Amino acid sequence: MIQTTQNSEEIQGKHYWKSLDDLADTPGFRSWVDSEFPEGASLMDGVQRRGFLKVMAASFGLAGLGMTGCRRPEHTILPHGRSPEELIPGIPAYYSSSRPTSAGFVPLIIESHEGRPTKIEGNSSYKLSGGSTDVYTQASILDLYDPDRSRGSFINENESQGNESSARWKKTPSAEIRNNLANIENFDRVAILSDSNFSSLRKSLFQKLGQKGVKVFTHDPIDFHNPENCLSKALGIDSSLRAIPNFSKAKTVLSLDSDFLGHREPNSSVNTKQFMPGRKVLSPSDAKKMNRLYSVESDLSITGGVADHRLRLSSSEIEGFSALILIKLLELSGEKKPKLLEQLTLLSQGLDNHEKWATESAKDLFEKPKQSVVVAGSHLPSSVHLLTYKINQILGNQSTCLEYLKVDNFAGNLSSLCESLEKEEIETIIFLGGNPVYHCPSVDWVDLLKSTKNKYRLGRSIDETSQVCDFHIGQSHFLESWDMGTNWSEDICSPVQPIIAPLFDTCSDTEILSSLLGENKNSHDLLLEFFESDAGVSQKFEDFLKQGVANVEPSLLANLPNPDEAVLEISTDVITLSENSLEVLLIPDFHTWDGQFSNNGWMMECPHPITKLTWDNALLISPVLAKKLEEKYPNLGLLPEATMLNKNGQIAPDAAVFKDGKQQAPIVRLRVGDHHEIKAPLCVQPGLADYTVVSTIGQGRSRVGRVGSGTGFDTCSLMHTDSNRISRGATIEPTGDFHILANVQEHWSMEGRAIVRETNAKYYSEHEDFAQKMGAESHSPPMWGKDQDASIAEKATTTPRGNSAYEHPDHTYEHSETFGLHQWGMSIDLNQCTGCSACVVACQSENNIPIVGKDQVLRGREMHWIRLDRYFSSTEREGAELPSDVQVSFQGVACMHCETAPCESVCPVNATVHDEEGLNAMAYNRCVGTRYCANNCPYKVRRFNFFDWNKRNTDELYQGPLGEKNDSLVDMGKNPDVTVRMRGVMEKCTYCVQRIQEAKIRTKVNAQRDAKLSTGSDGADLNLEVKDLKVPDGTIRTACQQVCPSDAIIFGDLSDPESEVSKMKNNPRDYSVLGYLNTRPRTTFLAKVRNPNPKMPDYSKKPHSYREYSDKAYPANHGDSKKEQSTH
Amino acid sequence: MRNIFPRWTNTIPVKLIISLGLIGGVVTAGITYYATPKYTRVGYQPSQPVEYNHEFHAGQLGLDCRYCHNGADKSSHANIPGANTCMSCHKNVKADSPLLEPIRNSYFGEDTNRDGQLSEEEDINGDGLLTSGPAVPWVRIHKTPDYVYFNHAIHVNRGISCVECHGRIDQMEVVHHSEPLSMSFCLECHRKPEESLRPMDEVTNLAWQVQHNQEESKDLAQIHAGLKIKENWGVNPPLSCTGCHR
Repeated sequence: MIQTTQNSEEIQGKHYWKSLDDLADTPGFRSWVDSEFPEGASLMDGVQRRGFLKVMAASFGLAGLGMTGCRRPEHTILPHGRSPEELIPGIPAYYSSSRPTSAGFVPLIIESHEGRPTKIEGNSSYKLSGGSTDVYTQASILDLYDPDRSRGSFINENESQGNESSARWKKTPSAEIRNNLANIENFDRVAILSDSNFSSLRKSLFQKLGQKGVKVFTHDPIDFHNPENCLSKALGIDSSLRAIPNFSKAKTVLSLDSDFLGHREPNSSVNTKQFMPGRKVLSPSDAKKMNRLYSVESDLSITGGVADHRLRLSSSEIEGFSALILIKLLELSGEKKPKLLEQLTLLSQGLDNHEKWATESAKDLFEKPKQSVVVAGSHLPSSVHLLTYKINQILGNQSTCLEYLKVDNFAGNLSSLCESLEKEEIETIIFLGGNPVYHCPSVDWVDLLKSTKNKYRLGRSIDETSQVCDFHIGQSHFLESWDMGTNWSEDICSPVQPIIAPLFDTCSDTEILSSLLGENKNSHDLLLEFFESDAGVSQKFEDFLKQGVANVEPSLLANLPNPDEAVLEISTDVITLSENSLEVLLIPDFHTWDGQFSNNGWMMECPHPITKLTWDNALLISPVLAKKLEEKYPNLGLLPEATMLNKNGQIAPDAAVFKDGKQQAPIVRLRVGDHHEIKAPLCVQPGLADYTVVSTIGQGRSRVGRVGSGTGFDTCSLMHTDSNRISRGATIEPTGDFHILANVQEHWSMEGRAIVRETNAKYYSEHEDFAQKMGAESHSPPMWGKDQDASIAEKATTTPRGNSAYEHPDHTYEHSETFGLHQWGMSIDLNQCTGCSACVVACQSENNIPIVGKDQVLRGREMHWIRLDRYFSSTEREGAELPSDVQVSFQGVACMHCETAPCESVCPVNATVHDEEGLNAMAYNRCVGTRYCANNCPYKVRRFNFFDWNKRNTDELYQGPLGEKNDSLVDMGKNPDVTVRMRGVMEKCTYCVQRIQEAKIRTKVNAQRDAKLSTGSDGADLNLEVKDLKVPDGTIRTACQQVCPSDAIIFGDLSDPESEVSKMKNNPRDYSVLGYLNTRPRTTFLAKVRNPNPKMPDYSKKPHSYREYSDKAYPANHGDSKKEQSTH
Repeated sequence: MRNIFPRWTNTIPVKLIISLGLIGGVVTAGITYYATPKYTRVGYQPSQPVEYNHEFHAGQLGLDCRYCHNGADKSSHANIPGANTCMSCHKNVKADSPLLEPIRNSYFGEDTNRDGQLSEEEDINGDGLLTSGPAVPWVRIHKTPDYVYFNHAIHVNRGISCVECHGRIDQMEVVHHSEPLSMSFCLECHRKPEESLRPMDEVTNLAWQVQHNQEESKDLAQIHAGLKIKENWGVNPPLSCTGCHR
């Protein structure tokens, strides 16, 4: 029975490993794993016992002095003079609003506690995203309470502008600066440089200003509008042509270097919401309907992680590859266009290796006409977008899965601004948002702006761009101003509604523009006026605000032009990449995006989904390049060395990548051409194209607040003034320095067990219960003993003893004094998780989770309640050679709320106990901080407050009470429904117990009131049934569940067999992580199903994780028994 | 050199143990009595900025608690009323009383001539809106620690009267802290809710007592009535940590 899957052919699949050292099994890694906790995580650093006692004795003495006259301090309660209507203290209010991004407005619902916004959630009336948001939107609320944002408006009093060190800023009322603006007369000598934005109000103001002669320019470092501009130029259309894919209708998707599920492309949460349901499999019949994703990319993005087939190709080769796909499609469709074919063959030179990959994927795309989408990354050159356009045309997707939107493009770009500046045509320049001086160091701003008399800057904080300006006007956060605009696909319109009055003397961009028009209106009046005149929304203003979204008609292009002529005009040039001529791809940084989140601690500390780096950026290189570099420059320490024995037979010390769990990254000099040079640390990342160096923009800013200062490396000097983000001909050379990267990837290694279980769709359709056949528990007697087949509700309420000798409390409704009305549980579908990390930050926002800073992350003390484990798997490897082709699996791990929780039995003070509804409760006020529970937790999900994170700045933690207290501005954003934990207590996921309790209370109160109203009696004789008091399924959504764009997380009541979560847990794919420990976790996982195409060259039909589990269960030296097994 | 220590030293260890035991006992008893909410909180009676008389308003006039504390049956907090609530009567009643000056200040704010209209000279901050004056700094009496999430709505709606935690407010001229509000105080009631449950209509009637006849005592009658309510409504007060600590 045990060996059913041990047929040797099946075990070639993937081997799971978490880091390069893990894979190489170096002694460093071994000792690391053995010590279980990362270095320093649980040690008393540098404090000897004697010294400790001395200090403690002194502090007790002091405490004695302070005890006298110790009475509770007097608190006052300050009610309103005139209470606003409908404001009841203690009940949060919810307002619709939206967040303006460079990819459209994101409709939101903002939770506000007594006027303070505390949590952002997506607006579920916006059907495309269904209430989900991305990670940045979750984190954006912290910017409102950023202590380093500009607290007013300033005049630069320094005479020699641009000299950063000596710039002095004098606070000035913003009204004064606005009056200055209102007095400008010479409109044709005024220029505005803004970031791009989807605000229709701003657009109308720009148009008004344009009529007066003001020149408007836009610049985005990450230009999402590049494809649409390229396409219109190539096809000769006067308006830009934006492709809007609809992934919900697509059965096959080919992504050409496009991270459409991740942060590199616009609209990721909508794309995820559309794409991932096509991968939902609840029964074998769904497996046949599952969609398939082909990904060709140079970087390993989360889209590549989801892909069923992934091809590593440099970004420069994507052009040739798309030509190759087009050739195959033309052949399949039988279109005879010899001239076109000739041109395409020319373009696709040098890609013969990938012929088979292209042929089979093209066939698969072609097999389901009108049900596929081909998308290309926004950083790619014009030719790729044109070829993609043609490919989609041949596949017939243009009416079904793709729409083309006509977009006006009225603004000039940065180079035309530079021209005007050079000609000295500009007298007044206004930098509206963005941070062009940081992003474009190749432009000599100080010199260019010499002849410009007035330089205004509207920005969130005094940054690089402010340094070259005379006036800095603080920009209001979007939760402080009025606006309205459209989403990326321009089919809905949503309002930006302020939740709080501006905290400081700041203005919104529209207010600045209004001043320039000489009106000096506030954003509310501007919006109301615009809404009533020409917003194009039929609703009333109040209804518009209430709903938060209004449908508008997008202007679609019906007659799509033929691209054949344009394709013929693509120029061909041969590109060869090698270690001496590398390709550099610049992508937005996961943490800071383009630099705007540099001072946002949540984003800085949220681990990058793939590299798991925090607080830093690094140059990512492939293992192939790393090996070549190692050969050229020994002692670089990039790759783990093979384990070897020294003369004495001891394991030799290893110069591995991780020293004591700290990643030592060599700093290198990356040169492109003669004058572009950056210095940054290297990080080896499997899955990259061999000669592509991936670098991120947005870190290493010179002028940034306290959180972001000193983090990361500036790579902007590689930026071009246009939107091109690919450079070629780069070389790498070590500087000899090293940098420590705060990488969380090796923390809490769970090695060698069937943690993530996955299989292929075909195998799944034949073996629905494959997940049950994996892991140690599949070999042991059933975990639940004789009660194995009992229903989930029964197991949850009675906690059956199975074969255990121990009694468990009986929580059945009838039998218990303390019965639980509900039994909470969670199901996480690993097949739906893309690794986007939105849940990590949503949880942080909801549960007042602090940030700890890079230094503490290096000690393994990060506080996230959810960690997103990322595992790589690869085909069989030889020796210590690092594989390049990997598959990625993600697994979100939070407290599992085990029914037989190991943490509870070791707590000496009963601070962590079970409640009657199955929650593993954590009473902070009872915790004394022994940390036994964290030691005993097999999932390593408990987090300890080593310091008063919430009270102190991350750089003053060690000063304790002597250090300065944190800025109280940050405290305004805390969720008042959740305890702010202090130093010395343990914490962990609570299943959002505050939401559970609120919902339970609301249900009971409503039931009681309804019953009283309907009977009219005084209430003593009312009869309330259990069903009246139960919270209806779906009412409670945990923060992580709410934000998830792919609905991977389901939470609910297990005692209700009809609840969504019960249905999920009844699925045969359901399994418990480390189930053999008999912890009986309430959070279980649904195994992952991939959908590869059997005809593809990189197809492997084996269920991947069988390998990991079988390697441990049946190590290789069990050679003899293996033969026996196969006879079973 | 025979006896270094005199004979009386023989009893020192015993005396030491006894006296240490005594001291320990006294300290323990002292802390139990003097350092627990029963002693530290009960009786706390700060003077308020406005001498609001609960005995007169709630007792003699019979104002319902929820007239002012209108969040008590809706929200976790029972709010302290804004000045506008006071002014809804005191515009006419005792409109010129000097005792009410802080209330009027807070209510009228920018409206300095107190005519209910905001003229242009009055609008100091120039926003066109009537900004109210400084809030009345009521001194907080009842307070649970930050990690305790007490919810008024669930108690008030499920038959727990204000009097259980706040005492006979309708008899207090100046409000004082009458119950310890310690964890054991909460748990006692959560373990035996039948001792406190009453019909919904009587929740804000602080003087209410269960009707009982000669045969059974008042307490017994309450328990019988409470048990019936408990069963009818499915009252099941949480005893686990998550009930109050989040």
